Amino acid sequence: MQPNWLPLLHQLLAHWRLAALLVLSGVVVASAGCSQVGGLALAVPGTTQPANFPAMVYGLAKNPPDAATFELGRQLFYDARLSGDGTVSCGSCHRAAAAFAHAGQRLSPGVGGHPGQRNAPALQNLRWRQGFMADGGVLGLELQALAPLTDAHEMNMPLSVALARLNADPGYRQRFAAIYGPGSIDTPQFLRALAQFTAALTSANARYDKYVRHEAGGTLTAPELRGRALFRAKCSHCHATDLFTDESFRNNGLDRTFSQDSGRARITARPTDRGRFKVPSLRNVARTTPYMHDGRFATLAAVLAHYDHGVQPSPTLDPLLHQPNGRLGIALAAPEQAELLAFLNTLTDNEFLTDSRLLPPK
Amino acid sequence: MKNCRFATSCLLLTLAIGALLGCKKTPDSQPTVGTVSLELANMAGAKSVALDGTAYATASGETFTVSTLKYYLSNFKFTKSDGSTYAAPGEYHLVDADKASSTAFTISQVPVGDYTGVSFLVGVDSTTTKADPLSLTGDLNPANNMYWAWASGHIFLKLEGTVTSTSKPTALTCHIGGYRAPYSAIVTAAPSFNGSTLPVRADHAPAIRLSADVLKIFDGPTAASHVPLASFTEIMNPSARSVQMAQNYAAGMFSVQYIHAN
Repeated sequence: MQPNWLPLLHQLLAHWRLAALLVLSGVVVASAGCSQVGGLALAVPGTTQPANFPAMVYGLAKNPPDAATFELGRQLFYDARLSGDGTVSCGSCHRAAAAFAHAGQRLSPGVGGHPGQRNAPALQNLRWRQGFMADGGVLGLELQALAPLTDAHEMNMPLSVALARLNADPGYRQRFAAIYGPGSIDTPQFLRALAQFTAALTSANARYDKYVRHEAGGTLTAPELRGRALFRAKCSHCHATDLFTDESFRNNGLDRTFSQDSGRARITARPTDRGRFKVPSLRNVARTTPYMHDGRFATLAAVLAHYDHGVQPSPTLDPLLHQPNGRLGIALAAPEQAELLAFLNTLTDNEFLTDSRLLPPK
Repeated sequence: MKNCRFATSCLLLTLAIGALLGCKKTPDSQPTVGTVSLELANMAGAKSVALDGTAYATASGETFTVSTLKYYLSNFKFTKSDGSTYAAPGEYHLVDADKASSTAFTISQVPVGDYTGVSFLVGVDSTTTKADPLSLTGDLNPANNMYWAWASGHIFLKLEGTVTSTSKPTALTCHIGGYRAPYSAIVTAAPSFNGSTLPVRADHAPAIRLSADVLKIFDGPTAASHVPLASFTEIMNPSARSVQMAQNYAAGMFSVQYIHAN
């Protein structure tokens, strides 16, 4: 598989003029490769660093994007044969039009129609994520796919069986072999190919983004701007940066006890982590109904009402939800809620939601 | 002229490399490392573990059958009588009672000498279990069904079967793992050589035969550490109970049956 460099090296040593020529032509090839980056950007979404985003966590070099691997990942993402009974794909619960959340579903049905244990989260800007799942239990983007794949409530598929199904399919064998070389499809190949698709799901072109980057089409109305000012004063401690999350785990006062789902404590077993969940991004939030880890709120208005007057006390409630006057939550008058909603709607990124490269392959 | 100098340099370089390669092959240097064989006998008390519905009794007389028994052994450390140690790098072995070939393996590159003790992790160290999936191959591959996808880490020991001493048979599911405090199940076993010596030589490979007694997962070294089966519910995530069981098997599951100098 590796090109045999030895004869080439000998040639270089024997004919230094030829060597110089080869080096020159190498430069030409390399620069031709560089000009292909433009073509790559067209074929594989999400390969550039948006100017208003922090640095990537899962950088391009970790799994260099290329069109064939991205397309393979796309095929895998939408392939229901990767579930135990062949009825559920990743795309069943993660739909493009909802920023890869499952609009309107509190708990999406997995194999056999059994409901999952948490609300299907949006999949976007995963290159910038520190940990995965509402409890942060999964440590990396490539590993993430294993959780829904093997969960009995979701795709209920042992990894060994998934690999066996892929290896039994001549089409998959051919495509994997073309990328990774001959041999059986193995765990790293499978996870890295899938991650090329999930890493590509980048939302960075909402009207809000164009506003902060001073680009064409980046105009916000007066109520939207007032909403933004309110957001920065009252919400951006947690929904920080232009990713709209600080990646921390916090208890936002949904319940007084957490016997159903202890959140971060499920992973750390620390009492101080009970009821804490990952702060979600708010990108495309108008499209990712319902809300919270269990999908309990059907509308954004219900979410804002919760912060205004629904926050429940518990030992791990986030300190930011304790007001100086002793009340809990974030005081939001009705007009303020309307302005916040107006601002949150500017985070809808139609380019991302309708990107045909992210839809099921034809 | 330049051309000529270049060619001479190349020739000299080639000669130097050839000389180096030649040195490696000289027969008079003494090999300083040898190989140790390890064999595992999966037991339940005095009986061999069979995955066929045979029931085994704990110290308190409760009975259970075994359908799955798998565990990792890693981070082997050999100790000499002078207290010096050798830690064998990169050794991760998944022992599966259903796969005879997994119950024997070798550790090579052990410096020659007379060893008086061994210790090993029953499980996988946290650095390795958290590693990039690209590096998780062979016995560590998540496809071996010894991996918690939801918490990014290996299951260190898996025992599944049925409790048969209850009025109605109930499922016995023990998935022990986890590397985070306070419920870290990373434990070290150090079965005694009972005065024997493990002589590692270049020309012969000594063997250690270990007994792995599954009763000791439930029968701890003290009465307080005993894990009753009657009230046992499944263990599928780190907890105080899973740590107790890990401490139990670290303390008593592994013992040296014999050491053969070979």
